[in-house]
Amino acid sequence: MAAQNETVKTNNPAANPVAAVGRLLRRLLLSEYFVLILSIVYFIALLPFVNRLGSIRNLSVIFSNVWPLLTVAIGQTFILIIGGIDLSQTAIMAMSSVLGAAFMSSAADPLLFDKSPLWGIILSEKGGLLAGSPLAVPVGIGVMLLVGVAIGALNGFAVARFRMPPFMVTLVTLSFFSAFAILLTRSENIRNLPPEFLILGKTSLRADLSSFLSWSLGIGVGLAVVAQIILSRTKFGRWLYAIGTNQRAALISGVPTQRIIILAYMFSGFCAAVGSILYSSRLEGGRPTLAQNLLLDVVGATVIGGTSLFGGKGKVLWTLFGVLFFVLLSNTLNLLNVSTFTIDIVKGSVILAAALLDVLRIRLLARS
Amino acid sequence: MTKFIRLSVLSAFCLALLVTSFSVTQRVSAQSGKKICFAYQDLETQFWVAGHQAIVDTLKAKGIEVIERNGNQDANKQLEQVKDCITQGVDGIIIIPQDSASAVTIAAAANEANIPIAVFNRPPSSDSKAKHLVVVADNQVIAKTAVDFMVQRAVRQGELGGQVTPLIMVGDLGDTNAVGRLNGFKQSMAEADKKYPGLFKKAIEVPTKWDANTGLANLQAAMKANPDVDFIFTSSDFLFPQIQAVLEPLGKWVTSGKKGHVILGGLDGDAGACKLMKDGYLDTTGVQDLYFEANSAMDALLQAIANKETQPNKIIPDPGFALTQENIGTREMDMWGCKLLAAGFLDKKK
Repeated sequence: MAAQNETVKTNNPAANPVAAVGRLLRRLLLSEYFVLILSIVYFIALLPFVNRLGSIRNLSVIFSNVWPLLTVAIGQTFILIIGGIDLSQTAIMAMSSVLGAAFMSSAADPLLFDKSPLWGIILSEKGGLLAGSPLAVPVGIGVMLLVGVAIGALNGFAVARFRMPPFMVTLVTLSFFSAFAILLTRSENIRNLPPEFLILGKTSLRADLSSFLSWSLGIGVGLAVVAQIILSRTKFGRWLYAIGTNQRAALISGVPTQRIIILAYMFSGFCAAVGSILYSSRLEGGRPTLAQNLLLDVVGATVIGGTSLFGGKGKVLWTLFGVLFFVLLSNTLNLLNVSTFTIDIVKGSVILAAALLDVLRIRLLARS
Repeated sequence: MTKFIRLSVLSAFCLALLVTSFSVTQRVSAQSGKKICFAYQDLETQFWVAGHQAIVDTLKAKGIEVIERNGNQDANKQLEQVKDCITQGVDGIIIIPQDSASAVTIAAAANEANIPIAVFNRPPSSDSKAKHLVVVADNQVIAKTAVDFMVQRAVRQGELGGQVTPLIMVGDLGDTNAVGRLNGFKQSMAEADKKYPGLFKKAIEVPTKWDANTGLANLQAAMKANPDVDFIFTSSDFLFPQIQAVLEPLGKWVTSGKKGHVILGGLDGDAGACKLMKDGYLDTTGVQDLYFEANSAMDALLQAIANKETQPNKIIPDPGFALTQENIGTREMDMWGCKLLAAGFLDKKK
């Protein structure tokens, strides 16, 4: 009888508030809107304390930082879904940035570039190969995307065909192409890019609603929508999840795993190149060191969003929430005048917490 | 699992407490006076450390709140940090940009927000359309003055017979300061070639990218390929420890006037250079007047704020000079590094 009463007590939420809170937390943790809710609560909680946090100008700055990071993180999401990791995205961005700019630039200083391997081939005092041509921007962008896809294909081929660990393959390509980008320009930035290109990454600092509208927004949201459709509405998307959940089972079920893995890495390279376009444009130059310190932000934002490091789980929407939270965190810590070193410590801790949360979610799901 | 959930709740409370404490700190530190954002690319060299300290201490002494941002050598991060400063409604911005190219972008952002900006020591690219206050040394003239003195020493050494093999450690050529210093070196060497034909071999250029490790590795390689180098000009004094590390094992780290001495020159005027000069290893160093530059940047910015000028546009030149073994007796204390040395800066570092 006593045991029966105990059972009734634990099953009744009103009778056991601890269990009710536990269940609420569990539901929250398993909710796909967890990070969005966290971001909103965090934002509201800080509003009274952080001056100008909710101002239009600050919100516009936050979103202007979201879009370029989102484009890169979407590619990383695809790779994490198949149970891989792409550490080479920042090197892809640097290579794309340099080669695209080398085609588009309208002038180059011989003092800076005469020892560059590009000098006299696609870069000269008069600028890039297509300097002044109406084709400069479309071809330059095409080159950037092509570079991204090509390096992605290289990664995918090595991972799928030779079954090399993605961590090792992409670490090597990260190192190789970062150094190669520096070699190509002797570490110099290629400036004098066409205004039609520079407008792509520009965001306004005006304190009105129009400052939210930018090419970055269009490109970021457009890519996110396409990526979400690919993941949720296509066979390719379903195959990605299948590979991430169990590659062997997917292969037995008839999934062309090698082809899908290669395509996933190509898409990741494509997304990194899109990110490179936005970052190169906002910094007004082709930079061989572009995104050198961005990898932690990309992987961190993706993982915070809820995409599993173990594969088989992830959504573009989650990545958007993760990027939003990550950018909001950076912004608020800056507004709170926290030192740069502390900001990095906080960011690292949040990523660690997100990884732990991932483990917890998997356990909770396994129990239920 | 319940334990884990309890732990999660506890962590959430801790995070909230942490955030609140940050907020309280923010409220306490906020003053009713002016707010200046000071965004620097890094504090790797003594020049930047001393410049940073001079700016922060002076502004704080004037009751101005200083919002510091360290970009950690990342141009995009620095741009985002400055934009965050702009949203905080700062009255003015002082930047030490990552490079001349990013200085243009950052200055343009400040212009758009109508906040006056001063660029300290590393000027934006010459094609910049943005408006800014720039305080900068005439690097070409200062470098030429220092190298001219080295040439005089080399001529004296050359009278004993043999050719001189010059070497320059070149900075990051994306930085106009580095370009100016290289041009000053080249100008001096070209004049020396005309005046003393055949005395100087073609100068060896060693890239450093303003990075100590890169400089060390490239100098080691250059010295292996050209062991007869006896004339080294470094575009920045912060590379002297690397030069010593390469020359000492080769038996070339010898004081001036002794056999095997490598004629040595630099530019910046830091405390390490002052000590090397006093010890006799260094023949000359070009000096940027750090305190003049820091004070000029702050004064011009504060003046613009007071005058409600949102886009001041002015270049403030620092004429600089060269401290040599010949004038050290009279001009020692004109060099900021010697002042730091006298104040025990190097002892404090130990």
